[in-house]
Amino acid sequence: MNTMRERDEVVDLVLSRLRSSSAEYGDIRMLDSTTQLVRGEDRRIAAVQDTHDSGFGVRVLYRGAWGFAASSVLSAGEVRRVTDLAVEAAKASARLTGDPVKLCSEPVHRATIVTPCRLDPFTVPLEEKTRLLLETMEILHRQTGVARSSAGLWFRRDRKIFASTEGTRLEFDLLASHGECEATAVHDGRFASRSYNTPHLRRGYELIDEAAFTGEAPRVAAQAVEKVTAPQVEAGHYDLVLDPEHLSLTIHESCGHPSELDRALGYEANYAGTSFLTPDKLAQFRYGSAHVNLVADNTEPETLAATGYDDDGVACQRWDIISEGLFVGYCTNREVAPKIGQTRSRGSNRADSWSSVPMVRIANIGLQPGRARLDDMIADVRRGIYIEGHGSFSIDQRRYNFQFGGDAFWLIENGKRSHMLRDVIYHGITPEFWGRCDAVADPSHRRRFGFITCGKGQPGQSGWMTHAASHARFRNIGVIRGEA
Amino acid sequence: MTTPMSGRSTGTEFEFLDRDQFKRLADLVLNLSKGEHTCLALYDASGGTTRFANNQVIQHVNSRRITLAVTVAFGRRHGTATATDFGEEAVRDMVARAEGIARVSPEDPEYLPPLPPQTYDTRPRVREETIAAGPHQRVALVTQAVDLCRLEGMTAAGIVSSSVTAVGLAADTGLFAYEPRTEAKFSLTATAADSSGWTANVHRSIEHLGVVERTRLAIEKAKRSANPREIEPGHYPVILEPSALAGLIGPMLWELDAKSYYKHTSPFEGKLEERIFDRRLSLFNTPDHDDLTGNGFNHEGLPSKEAAWIENGVLKSLRYDRFTAQERHVDPTPSFDSPYLSGTPLGRDLTAKEAAGADTGLTKTPGAGAAGAVSQSLDELIAGTERGILVSNFWYIRTVNPTDLTLTGMTRDGTFLIENGRLSTGLVNFRWHDSPLRALAQVDGFTAPADAVSNENWKMLLPAVKLPDFHFSSVTRF
Repeated sequence: MNTMRERDEVVDLVLSRLRSSSAEYGDIRMLDSTTQLVRGEDRRIAAVQDTHDSGFGVRVLYRGAWGFAASSVLSAGEVRRVTDLAVEAAKASARLTGDPVKLCSEPVHRATIVTPCRLDPFTVPLEEKTRLLLETMEILHRQTGVARSSAGLWFRRDRKIFASTEGTRLEFDLLASHGECEATAVHDGRFASRSYNTPHLRRGYELIDEAAFTGEAPRVAAQAVEKVTAPQVEAGHYDLVLDPEHLSLTIHESCGHPSELDRALGYEANYAGTSFLTPDKLAQFRYGSAHVNLVADNTEPETLAATGYDDDGVACQRWDIISEGLFVGYCTNREVAPKIGQTRSRGSNRADSWSSVPMVRIANIGLQPGRARLDDMIADVRRGIYIEGHGSFSIDQRRYNFQFGGDAFWLIENGKRSHMLRDVIYHGITPEFWGRCDAVADPSHRRRFGFITCGKGQPGQSGWMTHAASHARFRNIGVIRGEA
Repeated sequence: MTTPMSGRSTGTEFEFLDRDQFKRLADLVLNLSKGEHTCLALYDASGGTTRFANNQVIQHVNSRRITLAVTVAFGRRHGTATATDFGEEAVRDMVARAEGIARVSPEDPEYLPPLPPQTYDTRPRVREETIAAGPHQRVALVTQAVDLCRLEGMTAAGIVSSSVTAVGLAADTGLFAYEPRTEAKFSLTATAADSSGWTANVHRSIEHLGVVERTRLAIEKAKRSANPREIEPGHYPVILEPSALAGLIGPMLWELDAKSYYKHTSPFEGKLEERIFDRRLSLFNTPDHDDLTGNGFNHEGLPSKEAAWIENGVLKSLRYDRFTAQERHVDPTPSFDSPYLSGTPLGRDLTAKEAAGADTGLTKTPGAGAAGAVSQSLDELIAGTERGILVSNFWYIRTVNPTDLTLTGMTRDGTFLIENGRLSTGLVNFRWHDSPLRALAQVDGFTAPADAVSNENWKMLLPAVKLPDFHFSSVTRF
């Protein structure tokens, strides 16, 4: 990391150069990221990697057109070159701009944001981490039938400066942690995996300690074997009870992405796709049943998108996306919010690197808890399936037609969870599916799960966000066997 | 601030470290390291992407990222550290971090020292016109595409990008490899009232993207798929255009991992030297093909070479890491950076330039169409189909069942009903549910290989194929 004085020099040089250019707006993000990855595979430590990634990106608005340039080289000459290149790119863009960008206003902010943590993961000895992973994999392999294992730890620290020509200056010291393990069992020419992981959260090593990997490993291994030997599901219609981790992915794909306003306005038409939640549906469209309340909350501590401010320099906020089943809100940034008449951005503009231009990303959208008890929800199912964790997932380019698997499946018969099933795939059309939600469990069941590989944009970027949920029940959903 | 080495400069946009500069960096790292073995990797990537939507530029990104990665080993203990700062102080810190990791890491039974010196071909993998392309040239290409869409009352979205990456490897064993590589990309979606058409290409040369020709094709697809009809999902004969086939084959290539094969967690279990595709199909790696973006060496410094993965339908090779290759006494060299699937022997198919212009209208697939010894044109495949579905592209392809490699995905941007040998109407998009191992076991016909770029895969040369039975499992709303 460069010294504070050197970073200030770069920021001042860029802003002064932008102010003397013909740009109407400009900002600089300097980011210094440190990532530690410890990866175990089949009872060995396959990789330990310590990654330092630093650089700066300059964003310029000229006559309503964007230009952006970035570099990992921090020299006075390179800072001047990159700044001028950003201006030149904006001028080139201005040759093909029919609807000039007009940023909505945001107060000037000056703040420092630091992720609190009890135990800095970068201070925990590497020997302790590799010992934990080797022990976890060893326990997984004690289970007869387990053929392969993996275990990993991941930690990331982002030190970032954001400064704009409007006067906003923000400094960040953000942390995120994650741990995971997986067992793969083989039986009769088939193989299947069962996993256990912490959410990705803005917490320290205490997250790993609390996960108790070695304590969970015997269950994970036993369930991997039970899964591969389980009977295949019979295709048909079932009531589904989905656990919070599974729901985090369903929410992400079927609510998160369609609520990105840039998609709804066609910005992603060539890649990630558009959205069936078009602006004419705002406050008009019934997305789900009255049990469905999906709230964006970028202010909840420890969640990935709760960074204080986004990469527009807009303060993080909490707002409704779906209220009692009605579509009422979008994720926005300063560019797209005015296009639907909104006067302030929701603060959901994020880039995954100093070299990436920020774009609208899904907020921390979570399903609000209901009042049901999980036991009662299952007791009220005659023929159903209980699903945990993430599996196969796919959804169309407007986010209507989806298909999900899961990590583990149990048959529910006459109100009781019985044996595991394999090859369960459910499918549906988003608003029809959420319209069949008839119960959401109470707050005691609420869990949070983070995503760090949400793909969007060209060049591709990985978005970070957290989705929280309690268990939810969906009636009469189509289920097929996952086989050709 | 650090003072950078002066890199190769070709104007205001793209710079990269040249061979001598990388050699000096490598000498510095190898002299600093106290490890028993040390290996340095360089990725110096400069590029720009002009992104457009709603008929205007929406993003204009230019960046340079220099990444150094050093792996240090003491015996079988190893550690890797990376940096994006190549000043001497940062390089010293990077080497010290890698050493620190290696000293306390457990022994890795699969660790192998860096390779000894290798011999590489010197075929150039850069095109000067791509290196020289800057924001204004990219916007000029975008403008051509947008203007064509506007004329038809359609909305254009897509990208034009150009980049150069200098890749280097150096180790204490004497291994030294250095190679700059250029890449240019174009992709476009033309959107009409209730339909869309898509096209894409990747090439080393920005002058070979075929922006105008491909934009016209996307427009034609959008026009012809207007007022899409919904038909029942089910099993249909299908013609997959090269981009759609790339979507089906891409996930399969990753699953050719040899370690998984020998640990019984591979969909190819027991299939080595067995027939997995129609006996007329062969899949090669062709790193020197002019229309592909093959590399001279892989991430460990093994030279790329031409190889057969599937020959006459028979699985001939798996993808080996060096440890598994050593265990099994096989050559670890083959990679699949430049896949080429053909219905004719390697070298018999026509090049893109030779084949261009053989077809007309909607079914003209750039780079394909002329009949080879046994292949047909896309028009001929359609003409020989009484009732079936033509798929331009797939989207969001994911594995459903890893044992039989069942995949799912959607059709996108141009799906058509074929009736009585002609395209009768556009169709509402389907979800599909099938395995390449089942679907490609029997092929009713194929074209010559053509440019095949999909949203989620790298550049390939693949034919359009006609399959007797493909499973479309449900429909969506558009």
